Amino acid sequence: MYRFAHLSDCHLGAQKHPDLRELEFEAFRMALDDALQKDVDFMIIAGDLFHSNIPNMETVKRATLELRRVREAGVPIYVNYGSHDYSPSSTSMIDILESAGVIDKVVRPIPGKKLGLEFTVDEKTGAKITGLSGRSRTLEAEYFMKLDREALEAEDGFRIFLFHSAITQFKPVDLADMESVDLNLFPRGFEYYAGGHVHRKGCYIEEGYGPIVYPGTLFGSYAGDLEENARGETRGYYLVEFTDRAREPEFREIRPAEFEYIECDVTGKNSQDAYHQIGREIAGHDVTGKVVMLKIRGELSSGRTSDIDSASIREKLESMGARVVQINRYGLSTREIQKVRVVESDVPRLERRIFREKLAGLDIRNRRLMEEGDSIAVELLRRLENEKAPGENKSEYEKRIIEDAGDVLGLDLGGDGT
Amino acid sequence: METAGQIIGGETAAVLIRQKAGEPIELGDLLVAEGEGYTILQVKDLRYSSQIPQGMRELASGFNLEGYGREVELLEPELRNYIIAEARPILHVRDGQPMIPKRLPRFFREVRRIREGDLDFLERPGNPVFLGNVRSGSKVLDTPVYVDAVDAITHHILIPATTGRGKSNLVKVMLWSLAEMDRVGILVLDPHDEYYGRNEAGLGRHPSDNVVYYSPDAPVGGNTLTINLRSLRPEHFEGIIPFTQAQEQAIARYYNEYGDGWILKIVEGEELPGVQPVTLNVLRRIFDVILGVHLDDGKIKSRGGVFRERGGESTIKDIAASLEDGKIVVVDTSRLMGEAELLVGSVISAEIFRRYQQYKATGELRRKPVIGIVIEEAPRVLGKEVIERQGNNIYSTIAREGRKFNIGLIAITQLVSLIPRTVLANMNTKIILGNEMAQERAEIIGSASQDLSADNRTIASLDKGEAIVSSIFTKFAVPVKIPLFEEFIESAGLESEDTDDDMIEFIG
Repeated sequence: MYRFAHLSDCHLGAQKHPDLRELEFEAFRMALDDALQKDVDFMIIAGDLFHSNIPNMETVKRATLELRRVREAGVPIYVNYGSHDYSPSSTSMIDILESAGVIDKVVRPIPGKKLGLEFTVDEKTGAKITGLSGRSRTLEAEYFMKLDREALEAEDGFRIFLFHSAITQFKPVDLADMESVDLNLFPRGFEYYAGGHVHRKGCYIEEGYGPIVYPGTLFGSYAGDLEENARGETRGYYLVEFTDRAREPEFREIRPAEFEYIECDVTGKNSQDAYHQIGREIAGHDVTGKVVMLKIRGELSSGRTSDIDSASIREKLESMGARVVQINRYGLSTREIQKVRVVESDVPRLERRIFREKLAGLDIRNRRLMEEGDSIAVELLRRLENEKAPGENKSEYEKRIIEDAGDVLGLDLGGDGT
Repeated sequence: METAGQIIGGETAAVLIRQKAGEPIELGDLLVAEGEGYTILQVKDLRYSSQIPQGMRELASGFNLEGYGREVELLEPELRNYIIAEARPILHVRDGQPMIPKRLPRFFREVRRIREGDLDFLERPGNPVFLGNVRSGSKVLDTPVYVDAVDAITHHILIPATTGRGKSNLVKVMLWSLAEMDRVGILVLDPHDEYYGRNEAGLGRHPSDNVVYYSPDAPVGGNTLTINLRSLRPEHFEGIIPFTQAQEQAIARYYNEYGDGWILKIVEGEELPGVQPVTLNVLRRIFDVILGVHLDDGKIKSRGGVFRERGGESTIKDIAASLEDGKIVVVDTSRLMGEAELLVGSVISAEIFRRYQQYKATGELRRKPVIGIVIEEAPRVLGKEVIERQGNNIYSTIAREGRKFNIGLIAITQLVSLIPRTVLANMNTKIILGNEMAQERAEIIGSASQDLSADNRTIASLDKGEAIVSSIFTKFAVPVKIPLFEEFIESAGLESEDTDDDMIEFIG
């Protein structure tokens, strides 16, 4: 009997708040420790190990130390690119860590008219691992469409298919907008399907396929993820035992901190009453040592949303012992000023909706832009957020950003990026 | 002018035309009588006429048949024996403007066959759905016939057709045009899995990305049809499954108690106060038979895999979103029970209807594409008896109220007589294919947008691929010839290019 750990969407470097960044890393360390204690033979990280393809040096340094520790324990780590740490020019931190022998990237195409994939064979267990990386939008579906399924299905042994995509059939209803691929594009009959990209855990059993598993995010990269943590969503990784087939995967919870969720509906209140109501609401919660996710929503009858002073609410919660306070007021609006037209609970969805609204108002003839403009814009925005990496000079940074942007826009910008 | 005949009598509804020898006139032929513009007449009936008395004709025939005189010939036969065509003036065109004829063409006026230029007033609308070319008898003119998709769909389309008259071909030709526009989203419930074309020509070959295919057994590129049981609400079953009062009450109780988990609880056999165990068991059996969900070793299993406990949560939203994007969504329901097929359509239609009601309320409706729902064997949901017995369902609601929300039906049926007159009257475009059943023809004629009272025989004689388009949006009931779908896409060079030979440039 062999064992492996299946992690995904660690998103190291996503959190900006120092305490949250610490917790994000703590979750990663705890997961690796737990897996090592469980005596795993190898680990799989199904994409988005990092939140960007060139994360900040501190994140890289700490992650490398942890990954090397695992490697030195004789446990290989198999990875693919996620949609966040992907690089079109193979200059992602994933590639650098692979060059350094810390991790193994298992996406290895065989050139041809169909997309063939080589298997990476784990020396100790003989498990054969292959798969695809996370890419943006239609390119991902195109790769799946071209996949040489027959050749993959003909391979024998214990096969793992690694991927970083949502599967249409298994998308949660609130993530219906998410790009996805149909399960029928996957090779059938693999013994295990190691998924990433969807931030919620799930294990699906389908006839003709081994377990199809998403561990979900290890900690959370967006406020929406953290809000889900606070509302009871458990985070962690899957521990899988196998011989020639996988046994039922065991979810191992990783909880680096306690969360507290507080929701205040201030509909119909004026801004002053709303502020007092929030005060009363938070007073009733024990927030000591916890990450507090406060959601303020509803339409104020009068006053401005800015009258509700987030800073003083935060101060109050911190004085009550809260470790970190995150306030979500995207769902807050007022009858007086109808500026907040879009009600969404997390930033990427909010961005996408705003782009979609704007696109609808433009006279655009380009069909692709009409259909995918929102996704393209969100993706572009994310790539443009990537900061200059330490040691990277300005022209290298510009070149990287232009390459990334060209990739998102589907443009061939030539060697010099012009 | 190539004269085809001459007007020799008749009345408003039936102008009599003597056919010129050697210029055979066919039933349905379009003829033109010129004068103060021109009048288009359509041939409704044909009969023989002769100047030779009946007795003489019979005697001459006797000579011929009995071998008394092979050489017996009638004097000037083409002058004395001829064919009389009964034609109806269907349109008068003056200065390029078509109008309903209010007077007869001039007596003794010669008539000619229609030419392409005579129909220049048939314009290509803004959102053209191609139906075929104008047909004069069995001759096809180079004049395409279109209806405006937005107008026609919001006012509902009825396609009455008996088997083998080219109904599937017509729907495929129409959907091909519709796939080219983003102002229209079409939901196709396909009980014979014939529209997408897994192995033959079908919508799957459309060069745009506007055709989305769902099937329980989808090929590569299609979507697997899975619907989470939590997506189903009691109202989706209304008018689709004939529940007894006790069963309806039980369903309401389960829904109130367990919300979207109500079916799961029923299938699990979870008892609830106020619900008789026998009722619970009957419901479990109904869901087993219709949805294919049952309990096996304490776990909920799905036969066929469409309705399921896990997965398929976003399918209805995905389909609704595709429709809102102006795509054609073909749902292969060939592997489902009849009720399950209607249920799938009911869930999707209800979601679309709900969204569009909301859009109307918020003023966003005009920015949204019009939605059409193609439903085969329409009397299953629009039939008089069905509505009386089971109450209204989402389809009958759309037939009545859909226009307000830019949603329409494209209903296909062999048995128009089963659909209430009130519903038929709301179907303002009828594409009539051949029908040999007199009662059905009478219903079609009675509810047409133009007076087709003289077209009974014409409808009976419509060959495969021939149709009459009667619509409030056409100036007259237009006879059309629908092209064969395979030839249509081939001749237009419209198929998507096969890029299988391209080498893959892979990054990742």
